[in-house]
Amino acid sequence: MFDPQLLEKLRIEKAEWEQILKKDIERFGERRQEFSSSSGIPAKNLYTPLDLEDERIDYLRDIGLPGKYPFTRGIYPNMYRREPFTFRIYTGFGTPRETNCRVKLLLKLGVNDLQLAADLPTQVGYDSDHIMSRGEVGKVGVAIDSLRDMEMIFDGLPLNSFKRVSTLFNSLGPIALCLFMALGEKQGLAIRDYVVDLQNDVLKEYVCRGTYIFPMEAGVRLCTDVVRFCAENALQWYPMTICSNHLNAAGAGSTAATAFAMANGMVYMRDILKKGMPIDRFASLLCMFLDEREDFFITIANLRATRRLWARILKEQFGAKEPNSMALKITSYSHGGETLRELLNNSVRIAYAALGYVLGGVQFLYNASFDEAVSLASEEAVKVAVRTQQILAHELGITNTVDPLGGSYYIETLTNQIERRMRQIIEKVESLGGALEAIRKGYYQSVIAEGASLRQKRFEEKDMVSVGVNVYRTEEEDPEPLFRMNQQSEEEQIRNLQALRRERSSREVQSALAAVKRVAKSEDNLVPAIFSAVKAYATVGEISDVLREVFGEYKEAVSYL
Amino acid sequence: MEEKIRILISKVGLDGHDVGAKLVARALRDGGMEVVYAGLRRTPEEVVDIAIQEDVDAIGISILSGAHMTFFPLILKLLAEKNASDIMLFGGGVIPVSHIKELKHLGVRELFTAGTTTSQIVEFVKKEMGKRRRGKGCCNGPAIRDL
Repeated sequence: MFDPQLLEKLRIEKAEWEQILKKDIERFGERRQEFSSSSGIPAKNLYTPLDLEDERIDYLRDIGLPGKYPFTRGIYPNMYRREPFTFRIYTGFGTPRETNCRVKLLLKLGVNDLQLAADLPTQVGYDSDHIMSRGEVGKVGVAIDSLRDMEMIFDGLPLNSFKRVSTLFNSLGPIALCLFMALGEKQGLAIRDYVVDLQNDVLKEYVCRGTYIFPMEAGVRLCTDVVRFCAENALQWYPMTICSNHLNAAGAGSTAATAFAMANGMVYMRDILKKGMPIDRFASLLCMFLDEREDFFITIANLRATRRLWARILKEQFGAKEPNSMALKITSYSHGGETLRELLNNSVRIAYAALGYVLGGVQFLYNASFDEAVSLASEEAVKVAVRTQQILAHELGITNTVDPLGGSYYIETLTNQIERRMRQIIEKVESLGGALEAIRKGYYQSVIAEGASLRQKRFEEKDMVSVGVNVYRTEEEDPEPLFRMNQQSEEEQIRNLQALRRERSSREVQSALAAVKRVAKSEDNLVPAIFSAVKAYATVGEISDVLREVFGEYKEAVSYL
Repeated sequence: MEEKIRILISKVGLDGHDVGAKLVARALRDGGMEVVYAGLRRTPEEVVDIAIQEDVDAIGISILSGAHMTFFPLILKLLAEKNASDIMLFGGGVIPVSHIKELKHLGVRELFTAGTTTSQIVEFVKKEMGKRRRGKGCCNGPAIRDL
């Protein structure tokens, strides 16, 4: 990339500079022994054109132009000059009625990308009155027992009020898809009128997040049924977001987490290919959820490296031909370092995290709220979260040019180093027989356990600093939540569920559930049968029970080591 | 030789976030205790049954889902019903100060929140066990067991 003569001169000058640096360090020392984060990539004192030379970076091959393969600088030619990233908020709590009020507030604030948080019973397929749902109804999200709850959540809120509406449902992707489709129908909307986006990535649930239900193969099938259905019926929807976020949070570190997520993605893609759908028919529907919590520059480089590696894998290993199949859309969640102490500081942390993702070229940007370390977000805190996104998009000139840090010696070197490490980890997973086998053999789990212990050790030794917690700590009591949960939500939800069971046609429900069972036993796509069951107001728990009967349940090998 | 302290570490309810529970389990083991780890999605009834069967000195519960005001009182009640209130109950999670006060008043010995070091937890357990150690026979099981 550089004139050899310049590089030669630079090499000489840098050698002289290193002598000066050495004296400086001898005299003043350095703040830390090693400047690194849990990603495991230590930062050097300085980066120059020599680093790009050492990395053998070829501008056209490795960096290129935005909107063009390998998409290092972004997936669109004009990025945020066309339109900024979406303003996304993850919300939902208590009963559908309570969540409806919050969603209306968010819409007023300008949120255009709504992700619905469902409670844990919903995510693992238990109705609100199931014994396992005790104490959990409406806690980490809104209780969704049936289509009736979705109608209430979106009462007065047509699904096209937002650019995108989404939810997680990692073990029950087809149910989530059908709830949105059935609600759209009720609201008089065609599929092309609105956009649904689902996380629908079950594999990481088996190693860290924990909302698994079925054995892994059945879990994968449910996820890929959703992708296949959308590829044929809803091409502008986003039926799967492959996640690194939770793997990183659990301890893997962002580089290994992203590599694991990609290896998981390869399992889904191969499953769909095996069922006869060509890669260019569905690859453009897949997104990834990326995350780095400790290092601002690694945040940026991680997004760039992931786009490039994904594009290369799609082209080289999966034979994709369409640029759209290789251009990876990215979701990120600005959070990670928040503390329970001195809650307001979290706004600052969230804003910097968001800035990192924007500089990395994110499409869908969530922000956490500053009080989520102690409770669900209060109205006051969520307003700051949304405003932070909007300030980044409109006030600071950050979105005026494409990939403003492209070409930075540091960022480009990091991007290369991260891509190389991710490739190595993916190769390791492949050598174990792919992600399913790697999970069965405990490889992901061991990387996560080791990383979590190391992170805790670094925190306890103050190598990983948390301001106000392990340094600059003052004596004050932990704060009380600004948000208070309604303690009657569980009872109210159970009453409504039981009323629904009395009012609906139980014959219709039974015959729809019987159809779900038949299809589950076959190789056919489950979405149409589940769609009929959802429209008959079969509950999430009832549909899940039928699937449990056919598929059985996943049993985790319990270990803390 | 004094018998090792035995601790049951478990998640309760549907919350799948087990990083903290596992870190604490490893720290207690490294601190010389015997740890029985019960894993995810345990009901309060199962936790109490396991604690009694395994003859543990204490139960440590991790809850991040907000269901703490249901599960901690229920575990205390079940322990009392089974004449096992000598088993100490402690825990951790995302739990507001006012709830911590209320739960401690009910009989949960201690609740740890974000920012706690594992050595603080190990110290706490050792100190409490020193105070209340029951005389027991000697039958050392394996040092590590997962259910």
